Amino acid sequence: MRLPRLFRTTPFQLTLLFLALFAGAAAPFLGYSYFATAGEVARRADADISREMGSLQAAYRLGGVNGLNQTLIERAAGERPFLYLLMKPDGTRISGSLETSPVEERTDNDSWASFSVTETDPDGAPVKRPARGLQRKLSGGELLFVGADVGESESFVASIVRALWGAAALVLVVGLAGGVLVSRNVSRSMQGLVDVVSAVRSGDLHARVKLRGTKDEYDEFAAGLNDMLDQLQRSMGGLRHAGDAIAHDLRTPLARLRARMEVALIDVEAGKGDPRRALETALDDADGVLRTFNAVLAIARLQSAGRAPDQQEFDPGELAADVSELYEPLCEDKGLEFKAEVTPGLPLRANREFIAQAVANLIDNACKYTPSGGAVMLRVRRRSSGEIEFSVTDTGPGVPDEDRARVVQRFVRLENSRSEPGAGLGLSLVSAVAEAHGGRLELSEGPGKVGEMGPGLRVALVLPSAPGA
Amino acid sequence: MRILVIEDDLEAAAAMTRGLQEAGFETVHAADGALGLAAARDGEFDVLIVDRMMPKMNGVEVVETVRREGDNTPVLFLSALGEIEDRVTGLKAGGDDYLVKPYAFAELIARVEALSRRRETGAVATTLKVGDLEMNLINRSVHRQGKEIDLQPREFQLLEFMMRHAGQSVTRTMLLEKVWEYHFDPQTNVIDVHVSRLRSKIDKGFDRPMLQTVRGAGYRLDP
Repeated sequence: MRLPRLFRTTPFQLTLLFLALFAGAAAPFLGYSYFATAGEVARRADADISREMGSLQAAYRLGGVNGLNQTLIERAAGERPFLYLLMKPDGTRISGSLETSPVEERTDNDSWASFSVTETDPDGAPVKRPARGLQRKLSGGELLFVGADVGESESFVASIVRALWGAAALVLVVGLAGGVLVSRNVSRSMQGLVDVVSAVRSGDLHARVKLRGTKDEYDEFAAGLNDMLDQLQRSMGGLRHAGDAIAHDLRTPLARLRARMEVALIDVEAGKGDPRRALETALDDADGVLRTFNAVLAIARLQSAGRAPDQQEFDPGELAADVSELYEPLCEDKGLEFKAEVTPGLPLRANREFIAQAVANLIDNACKYTPSGGAVMLRVRRRSSGEIEFSVTDTGPGVPDEDRARVVQRFVRLENSRSEPGAGLGLSLVSAVAEAHGGRLELSEGPGKVGEMGPGLRVALVLPSAPGA
Repeated sequence: MRILVIEDDLEAAAAMTRGLQEAGFETVHAADGALGLAAARDGEFDVLIVDRMMPKMNGVEVVETVRREGDNTPVLFLSALGEIEDRVTGLKAGGDDYLVKPYAFAELIARVEALSRRRETGAVATTLKVGDLEMNLINRSVHRQGKEIDLQPREFQLLEFMMRHAGQSVTRTMLLEKVWEYHFDPQTNVIDVHVSRLRSKIDKGFDRPMLQTVRGAGYRLDP
């Protein structure tokens, strides 16, 4: 048999479990409450009877049966009288307010008895009220019974018991109702998640959980699920985009390579042209395609990975000095002044190889586009925001404002740079490296026009500093 | 010099063995990992060239097994996987060098030569001598014909590498990897600038140039 859905939900089963636990805990509590209230009332009544019995026994010791009789008569006239019965050792009545003893056997030991007395209420109708008493054998062999009307305390106890049962019932009802409510609420929250998961499974990557704005665990989980789906969608989009781009970007140089080889073949067949020369050019072309391919692949991998692998802590100043050392002669040979200004010991956690490559690309670009007589400056510092900045400033022609966003895109080379070698992937690789480390690439104007020199360009690779530093 | 080529792509293997033979190496070809392992166990080789991805037994497994059996023959991994992690896996498995496909013959031969040579230099030398050029590794000084040559630290490392591989072609990529320890494409030939600076220091003013440019390959230091 299948239970209704509500009863199969985990929250409802949990509620039942809690209810059982709660009842288990409430039972001794209620039991104790009973013992401490109703039980106490009964014990106090018994104690009153025992005390009365004690004082009558004292009167008996002083004045014998007659003395006791006298005392009983006095006591019977009192405010809230006890019930008395004094009997001879054989059980026949001597005196007292009761006719017969509720205790039938005449033992030597004290015996308690619960009984009832009939009274007349204000209307004259007979009313039976509960009573309780103690019978004791006196030293002379006579039997004394002392009883009391416990009607009031009995009804008090009864009302306490009723209240305790009521409490128990309330525990069950509230617990169950709460369970049902919680369970329905939870199922509704879960339903949203379940729906989205099954939508995604059937191929709809756009499905998202609607947040309720309650900021509870479910909303948190739903937000997490949505973020995960966003990331997944981005990665897949990135891959698709990278695939398209690779196809496009490689087709062009491959077409060129093919055309060149075809022309060479025609030339060779016609007996003109040097096949050796044609093959050499074709090899150079192929190498060019490979370099482009490697660069595109590196960018695509970085973009789809989302986060650079193999990150470790290192001193960005040391890395900058290392890369500078590699490029400085190149700049100098081109008649450029190269300067590095490095703050040592900054905390950076990143993939060393990628950062080295990014910084190398920045310096390489600057050297490439700055005319002889200019200057290139590498700077590593910590921004006031705590971020670590590698910046390369040159005195080249710069990049106009409107083109700055574009040059970061893959394969964009501005008109005046077409004569320089390179595939135009430098900055986009740097940008991909920045993003894979949670950083960014910033382009701004350089030091400004000075004499022959252009306005220059300042490219900054900005990375978050290592956590905990 | 005997080279074992373990490569499942027959055409690539044929081209490779052809190139190696042209360069004066004796080659044996094994067409998959299992055959390669058997061949490596049987014969004495100076260098193993191992493709990483092969049927039956991949290159990494072959090299791990060879190393476990106590064979220290230098290994050059060939792979279509060019990521840094792949390189690290290959080197951890016991490879000595790593070349990403496709590669230029000059690159392959230069690396195979470097690996086969490495085996011969057993003892730790304190001085290197190539022709009339002498390098003292203890006080880090260089003399040619008794004349002291002043080098920057990186120029010293560059010359040391060239001297250890004297008479062999070394490629720009090899220099970038072994001297600067970078594995990326520097776009511009930065290495050329460093080599030409070194050349002007060790060859200028001497009757015979030692540092040669090898067309299509790289550089060579001749005695």
